[in-house]
Amino acid sequence: MKEFRTSSELSLSRAFKGILSLLAVAIIVALFFRLQPRLALGRSELRVSLSQIPYYTFCSLYRVLIAYFLSLIFAISYGITAARTPLAERIMIPIIDVAQSVPVIGFFPAAIYFFISLGGNTRFGIELASIFLIFTSQAWNMALGVFEAIKTIPTDIAEAVAAYGGNGWLRFKRLFLPASIPKLVYNSILSWVAAWYFLIACEIITIGDARYKLPGLGTLLMDSAETGQVGPLIAGLLALLFVIVTMDFLVWQPLSVWAEKFRYEFAAGTLTPQIATIGSPLAPFVLRLVRAGASVVRLAWGVVKARMPGWYKRSISALLSCGALWRAIRRVLGGALIALVLYGAGDGLVALIRVLRRPWPAQAHLIPLAAGASILRLMIAYALSLAWTLPCALAASESQRFSRRLAPIAQIAGSIPATALFPLIVAAVVELTGNMNLASVLLLLTGMQWYLLFNLTAGVRQIPEDLREAVRAFGLSRTATWRKLTLPALTPSLITGSITAWGGGWNALIVSEYFTYQGHHYQVLGLGAMLDVATYQSGDNLMILLALLSMVAIVMSLNRLVWRPLYRFATERYRFD
Amino acid sequence: MPLLELKEVSKSYQRSASALHVLEGISFTVEEGEFVAIVGPSGCGKSTLLRIIHGLIPPSSGQVLYKGRQVDGINLECALVFQSFALLPWLTVKANVELGLEARGIEPAERERRAAIYIDKVGLDGFEEAYPRELSGGMKQRVGLARALALEPELLLMDEPFSALDQLTAINLREELLDMWQSPDLPVGTIILVTHSIEEAVEMADRVLVMGRNPGRIVGELTVDLARPRRKRTDLFNALTDQIFSMIEERG
Repeated sequence: MKEFRTSSELSLSRAFKGILSLLAVAIIVALFFRLQPRLALGRSELRVSLSQIPYYTFCSLYRVLIAYFLSLIFAISYGITAARTPLAERIMIPIIDVAQSVPVIGFFPAAIYFFISLGGNTRFGIELASIFLIFTSQAWNMALGVFEAIKTIPTDIAEAVAAYGGNGWLRFKRLFLPASIPKLVYNSILSWVAAWYFLIACEIITIGDARYKLPGLGTLLMDSAETGQVGPLIAGLLALLFVIVTMDFLVWQPLSVWAEKFRYEFAAGTLTPQIATIGSPLAPFVLRLVRAGASVVRLAWGVVKARMPGWYKRSISALLSCGALWRAIRRVLGGALIALVLYGAGDGLVALIRVLRRPWPAQAHLIPLAAGASILRLMIAYALSLAWTLPCALAASESQRFSRRLAPIAQIAGSIPATALFPLIVAAVVELTGNMNLASVLLLLTGMQWYLLFNLTAGVRQIPEDLREAVRAFGLSRTATWRKLTLPALTPSLITGSITAWGGGWNALIVSEYFTYQGHHYQVLGLGAMLDVATYQSGDNLMILLALLSMVAIVMSLNRLVWRPLYRFATERYRFD
Repeated sequence: MPLLELKEVSKSYQRSASALHVLEGISFTVEEGEFVAIVGPSGCGKSTLLRIIHGLIPPSSGQVLYKGRQVDGINLECALVFQSFALLPWLTVKANVELGLEARGIEPAERERRAAIYIDKVGLDGFEEAYPRELSGGMKQRVGLARALALEPELLLMDEPFSALDQLTAINLREELLDMWQSPDLPVGTIILVTHSIEEAVEMADRVLVMGRNPGRIVGELTVDLARPRRKRTDLFNALTDQIFSMIEERG
């Protein structure tokens, strides 16, 4: 059925693609560096104060909210486009892969040299930059979620919509959007967790001497850590927790319940790990409230529509159903995009060569060693995560009660942005042991463990009941049950969880290997720290570029050489169908 | 002019080295008002053929003419009933039935009126606001049928509509479909039914096209001249099913 290429061909084209995407990243970063001379860099200072906490909370919330809505629009349009055309898929999905492997700090050049200069170095410009940075920690997984959802629409459902003449807007409204909702809701929750986690890196934007600060909880947390004020630190953390818990109850739990409506019936055990709903008593109430609100809006819209003059209605529906027009618009936009990309590629290549021809800094030769140290740290943090999450999952598979207790605790604990706790962890560990390496591993742990736990517990829930019964009926011992049923059944979730955990870990390197507390910089030898120092302290373009490219290259090679083959193996060997 | 005419329709899929021939040289016509059954073993490409007639899949070669005009893209005069029901799980019964009407730009008031009529006709009165997952298999297929009938299509295409149902439900639904087809107030005149059940074909259709596989092609044709309602297991009925069975055995 499938065509098989020889392995050498395969790896060659793979390596070629990898190098191509690296070059693309390099060009894009260089392009932003090139904007630098045109821009007078600035500083915006800000004194944080405790009484401003409600205002800071409001600021951070609207930033994440705006970034989230932009991510939503991006994810839906990007995911659908990539899923609809094979050519687009071949280009667009690798772009997401690369973007996911770039840590938030890697987007600083774009934030500073493009967005802040776009807003003319005003508060508006800095807000734009910050929202853009938050966007980069939210958008990619959501886009992949939509892509997967569209790709896995059952053939008969897609055929039915096509057969009944659903096209354009109607197909979007009736098919693509609803089909994406379960994955969108699940990924939205993850995206918000990520946004809060990286908030401290998104509200203070620094490259070398250029330093911009925005009022917000992230700034409050960073500032009070840098100056070592524990009071504001804890106050900020509590404010953040308040927002997170409130949103969980009022938004995410009702949404998770609602999203169940959009699952296909046979899909009892699909790949989307459901986040176990706590079963908050509020969820049905909120849903009812929203439904009532929606029907009021619908009623009002009906009245407005009835009053609309006929030609207006007709022209709107004609506009929406006019495929030719949309195609034309898409073509024009596509053409403009291609022209822009070509222009940027040429310009960026020149800039890249210019940067690379400068004398390389002395630390550059430390990069391989630093990369090795980072990988070692990630491996230890991963092993530690596995050491407690796997027993938890096994216990959850044996006891319904434990599983029910674990779910809400894990959900709340997992949504606490551990970065807010970093100052305390660093202070305690470094105080006690004098070892930043240990602190760094612990910090990495916070960026990895929850992904494993969520995926493993979701995997436990997907083990079919009849298989459990069969195992019980045959009287298998506990260890035999683990060996014959639970562990094999958990393998796909374990791999998926590991992939996400490592992705999270790589991104968390930049906040885990370098930390400022009470005016003292703590750092270890690592790729993340190297990128931090180059960005926050020296502002050396070449070093930023080198550290960033090394990181992206390592992440992508690990993904391609280790994780993807493992994933393919696990899903083929250990799935239920 | 026949309502539908197929001329030498073939379908093949390109594999890396060789081509997979799913259908080869299919030609037949369907007159207005006819009930035609296409029967054949699984894998003979009969469902693919139905999708080619509808315009969901283009043929590799040959022509599909509808009222003398070549079908290019989805033929909006047809409506398709699926074996797997293919209802959108996130829409209520009513919204599922209205799907095709909405796509044809019919005003909401008229959509509701027609949906109500056909939901009532298939006996689902009172289930308008239910979701597909709350219905039994038989009820789901009734929704599938109402969705198709609501379009008041000239040609109703049915892809093994009864094979995912339990036998008793299938018997009932077959009878109801025949009643509806024969009653003058149903706007659907012509039906093409794809099935793997020889009995079903003989029970329902005026004419049976028999298909064989590897590649999928027509191996025989048979007119069923029995009066309706037809009783199974009569000598005449058995003779016809035996005849079809031997066509598939010998030539399929």
